[in-house]
Amino acid sequence: MTIKLEQVDDYRWLIPRTGAMRVPGLVFADRDLMKSIQEDQSLTQVANVATLPGIVGHSLAMPDIHWGYGFPIGGVAAFDLHKGIVSPGGVGYDINCGCRLMTTVLRADEIRPLIKEMVLALFKNIPSGVGSTGTVHLSKSKETEVAVKGAAWAVKMGFGTAEDLERTEDRGAMEGADPSVLSERAIKRGQNQLGTLGSGNHFLEIQVVDQIYDREKASHFNLFEGQITILIHSGSRGFGHQICDDFLKMMIKSDANGQKSFILPDRQLACAPLESDLARRYLAGMACAANYAWANRQILMHLTIETLLKTLSIRPEELGSKLLYDVCHNIAKKEQHLVDGEQVMLCVHRKGATRALPPGHPLLPEIYRTVGQPVLIPGDMGTNSYILAGAEGAMDHSFGSCCHGAGRILSRTRAVKNAKGRAIHRELEDKGIFVQSRGKRTLKEEMPEAYKDVSQVVDVVHGAGLARKVARLRPLGVIKG
Amino acid sequence: MDSNSAAFTLLDHTADLGIMVTGSDLSDLFEKAAHSMMQIMIEERPAGKTSSLQLSVSGEDYADLIVRWLGEILYLFQGEDKIVTCAEISSISQSHINATLQTVPFNPKQHEVLTEIKAVTYHRIEVICENGCWKATIIFDL
Repeated sequence: MTIKLEQVDDYRWLIPRTGAMRVPGLVFADRDLMKSIQEDQSLTQVANVATLPGIVGHSLAMPDIHWGYGFPIGGVAAFDLHKGIVSPGGVGYDINCGCRLMTTVLRADEIRPLIKEMVLALFKNIPSGVGSTGTVHLSKSKETEVAVKGAAWAVKMGFGTAEDLERTEDRGAMEGADPSVLSERAIKRGQNQLGTLGSGNHFLEIQVVDQIYDREKASHFNLFEGQITILIHSGSRGFGHQICDDFLKMMIKSDANGQKSFILPDRQLACAPLESDLARRYLAGMACAANYAWANRQILMHLTIETLLKTLSIRPEELGSKLLYDVCHNIAKKEQHLVDGEQVMLCVHRKGATRALPPGHPLLPEIYRTVGQPVLIPGDMGTNSYILAGAEGAMDHSFGSCCHGAGRILSRTRAVKNAKGRAIHRELEDKGIFVQSRGKRTLKEEMPEAYKDVSQVVDVVHGAGLARKVARLRPLGVIKG
Repeated sequence: MDSNSAAFTLLDHTADLGIMVTGSDLSDLFEKAAHSMMQIMIEERPAGKTSSLQLSVSGEDYADLIVRWLGEILYLFQGEDKIVTCAEISSISQSHINATLQTVPFNPKQHEVLTEIKAVTYHRIEVICENGCWKATIIFDL
């Protein structure tokens, strides 16, 4: 299927409404990125999402868009609460997969000789890889508490401080979580995985701030050149996967029973009307997984702090660890947006996209009210990551959303083929990046060439006014699952 | 199903992984799909004490059935730490499968995980019969 594209400006491309599409598609990309986007099926997926009932505005895609299942990864779509739907495939299996960035007062030039030791210690202390289990085992009642209270549960258990909650999207707990909707399987899978990084593209990275673009915002975010930061990327593990899988199957069954009056272009887009009981139960289960993920990243940060204090033999004030922000990438949220001059509540799906609230937005914590939300954009493990600040353009054009990473460009099989005969860990070490990974194929699957150029992706969201560049981070050490 | 019976083609997918499997009949197709998935995930012939279990799966049609069938085998690994080494289907219809599975307990220190499959998706799912040959296309979430 060839998708027609009309270039709107340097950073936006329109997919005109055709066939069953209820709204047009809009893709944020420059000319060069668009060439690679056209090589896979992701634009067809943008058009497919546009056929879903109650979709408002455009079916959107961020510049890190790539072929996913159902929704494209990098897809954003907002639905009317009365006429619209919620789709578990539009959130993804890893509900609230996301990242958090912790700043320190350490300087890279002071600790560079110790990076290897730090990475080895973190690799030992932070459970990662397939089937890894955490240091926290949850009874059923405790798991229920995690699912409702999220990061606040972890803080109550001593994994962090109340200040961390201020610096977490939704204060680390989404409202409406109801563990009574969860299956026994979901509960079972969540019991042993809290405080684990996972596998695949999940990682923990030690980085240095190597360039500041906006001194005022950087200072507000407590960032300075040469500073050591830690970026953690993980999600809701098997718990979230099971919840997505359970509800997807319920929605497929509900479709088969004739409770749907439109044709799905892809079964992975299975959905339920937002006003239905099935949608209510899915959103209650999804919130449980989102809260589990926030608790997970809170515990992972605590384990990181403990490990660094011990490895470097320093006091907490010498580490000066502070959470900058924690954002989610895979979520559906009821939010207020301006549509045709009216403020309306919508259900915004972000599948591989980050929220990017501008200065003055009422949902921002007081500390970021004047500068905008910190937007964290991890790159691949060989290049850079970025910190941006949410900008007004996001509210005008993308339902307060922005890209979430570099975005894959090579399939995992292609990446492994391209990496044949190469020692990726040595190539990275030559660039001053020390890497440890659990899975045998992980480094090859996740090698830098498998991803788009994150700088190009970030330049698009900056240029389009969705978020503004604040600082660039360079990796020094990485642990992968 | 036995360890020599997998016949699948890997399909390129940017973020995830797809396979195309063929079978002489429906049972053969579903058994081969199960083995192909396990072959992608775990080293060949995993060692361990074998146990047997009965599995019944229901679905809305062939496409839904194959997703649920593979999903159950995947859950045995993810939720029960069991590696399915053999699956024999005793009966299959458009909406139901009965099968006997042989499993060995997963031991992360002993068994090598080649690729972690996190879910069996419905994206572009297809089960068709062409010229008397059954064919399935399945995309896995990694």
